[in-house]
Amino acid sequence: MAAPTRPSAQQPADPSVGPPSGPTVEAVPGAQAVAVPGAPAEVEQVAAGGSAARDTWRAFRRQPLGVLSLGVLGVLVAVAVLAPLLADYPSGTGSSVLAPPSAQHWFGTDNLGRDVFAQVVWGSRSSLLVAAGASALAIVLGTAVAVAGAWWPRLDALVGLVVDLVLSLPVLPLMILVAALVGPSTTTIVLVIAAFSWPEVTRVVRSLALTVVRLPYMDAARLLTPSATWIITRHLLPAVTPVVVVSVVLTASRAVLSAAGLAFLGLGDPRSWSWGRVLFEAQQAGAMSSAWWLTLFPSLAILALVLAATLASIAFNDARDPRSRVRR
Amino acid sequence: MPALASFTLRRLARGLVTVWFAVTVTFLLLRLLPGDPALAIASPTMTEETRAAVLERYGLADPLLVQYGRYLLALVQGDLGTSFTQGQPVSAVLLERLPWTLLLTGAALVVTVLVGIPLGVLAAARAGGGLDRLVQGLGVTGQSLFVPSVGVLLLYVLGLQLGWFPIGGAYDRGVYGGEWYLIVLHHLALPALSLALVQLGAYVITLRSTLIEALGEDYCALARAGGIPYRRVLWKHALRNALLPTTTLVGLQLGFLVGGAVLTETVYAYPGVGRGIYEAVTQLDFPVLQGAFVLLAVTVVVANLLTDLVYGLLDPRVRT
Repeated sequence: MAAPTRPSAQQPADPSVGPPSGPTVEAVPGAQAVAVPGAPAEVEQVAAGGSAARDTWRAFRRQPLGVLSLGVLGVLVAVAVLAPLLADYPSGTGSSVLAPPSAQHWFGTDNLGRDVFAQVVWGSRSSLLVAAGASALAIVLGTAVAVAGAWWPRLDALVGLVVDLVLSLPVLPLMILVAALVGPSTTTIVLVIAAFSWPEVTRVVRSLALTVVRLPYMDAARLLTPSATWIITRHLLPAVTPVVVVSVVLTASRAVLSAAGLAFLGLGDPRSWSWGRVLFEAQQAGAMSSAWWLTLFPSLAILALVLAATLASIAFNDARDPRSRVRR
Repeated sequence: MPALASFTLRRLARGLVTVWFAVTVTFLLLRLLPGDPALAIASPTMTEETRAAVLERYGLADPLLVQYGRYLLALVQGDLGTSFTQGQPVSAVLLERLPWTLLLTGAALVVTVLVGIPLGVLAAARAGGGLDRLVQGLGVTGQSLFVPSVGVLLLYVLGLQLGWFPIGGAYDRGVYGGEWYLIVLHHLALPALSLALVQLGAYVITLRSTLIEALGEDYCALARAGGIPYRRVLWKHALRNALLPTTTLVGLQLGFLVGGAVLTETVYAYPGVGRGIYEAVTQLDFPVLQGAFVLLAVTVVVANLLTDLVYGLLDPRVRT
């Protein structure tokens, strides 16, 4: 039986991501090494993974900023889900045009007299949807490419090259070109953002995956089973999971900014409200600088979402690192 | 210096590959995406015969590989097609705008570096202290900012309410000579500041962490043990070595910077390539959008190449 590796000797490959989690890397292959391709492995693995997750959660709860940002994310999701209860869908025209915030219109009204509060509330739906959709697609694709590259070294040269090339290009103008060609809709925007976000995920996951495949426990796994699928799904993927989790959050928050940028340039879905669209319409109406409430509230919503996501991922990163846990 | 020569050649080749990649991606996108290529050239209200004629005339009926070859040949000659709203060559439309974008992004980079270096050094000097935490907090917040939000905020407060800065454009008509340069700088201040604020976070955070790493290295300990004052070790020894990874990061982020410039120019009606993109989007002027991407990609590649070469001259470690 292969002995579990000591990940403490392992060097973090990417400083921005932080070191790979000790317990996750150690516990999962440890459980695996005790019982390879049998059913009991799953039981062991779940137990070991669960305790690592519990430790991380315990450390996470001790970080006030992390908990606060998780709360903010929760509130934003609740607003998006409960939008129909909070405000009527903003449409048509209203009687009071460009009215500043009041008891009746909390966030004021726009140049057509529509309620800005309603726009921001309903805008949270498409903003969160785009964030979730684009990051889910980018994560799946980016992780698959990274892991495949790490496993098959011949593929990796190509993967590294493509990632480098895409990352050195100005992505927003490229997204603009594609979105304008295909025609703006929520689906287009999700696909376009995902299509140009996966290389960043690949870059981050790949640097960890490349160190993990060289670890002794991977050699041990190769001796025990000829199945690449088995080793990749049971050993390689669990080892890179923590980095993937952080990537999900960061990709999602970048997707929010990209989607808002596209909508601000007039490439948002014209049929649904988004925070970027509120800004775009304010700009189109020439009311951007005079009616401050038109830009302030959607801007604050974007900032709240992106900042909370970033802080939560930083807190998670600290929490899953046993070294920073000990120091606390 | 054979090491430097081969380094230069390798970087040059890499830049060329990147440009080729950008150009090929654009070509494939335009030809393979759902959507009629003829629509991207002439108006959507055409009869079947005119459409066929247009396709024939622009060579869109030829095999894809032939089209690709012709496209590359045209690009090498600087031909980016014709804008169909302005009737001018795209290259002429965009090259006229490029200097403004270069000015804006250049100014934003200068501000980022001038503010970022002291902030990063001060934070790293007392890592974990109050100032360090403040800088880190600002850094994270800066990375989460949406460029147009910052732009509008500055425009509203400093431009409209306080009246310190003009609220849009890049210059005033009818002003010449030395005064013109002052007017241009005055117009540049707010857009450059907005863009710099968004860039600053990542720069400071990276500089701080690489500096802390450098300060922990043996040569810094040796310098300290040899009696060199901490401040001198920090600014002279550690900073010099920490600037390299930080500069590499700036190079990596140039693409994002250009994206930010597109949004900033839109907010401030600044007459650069980005504002051109915004106008082309509203008019669905595809040749301009395509040309703008190619031009900005080339700009980023050239800027990266220049940074790399200068660094190769200054720092022998890079040449490996």
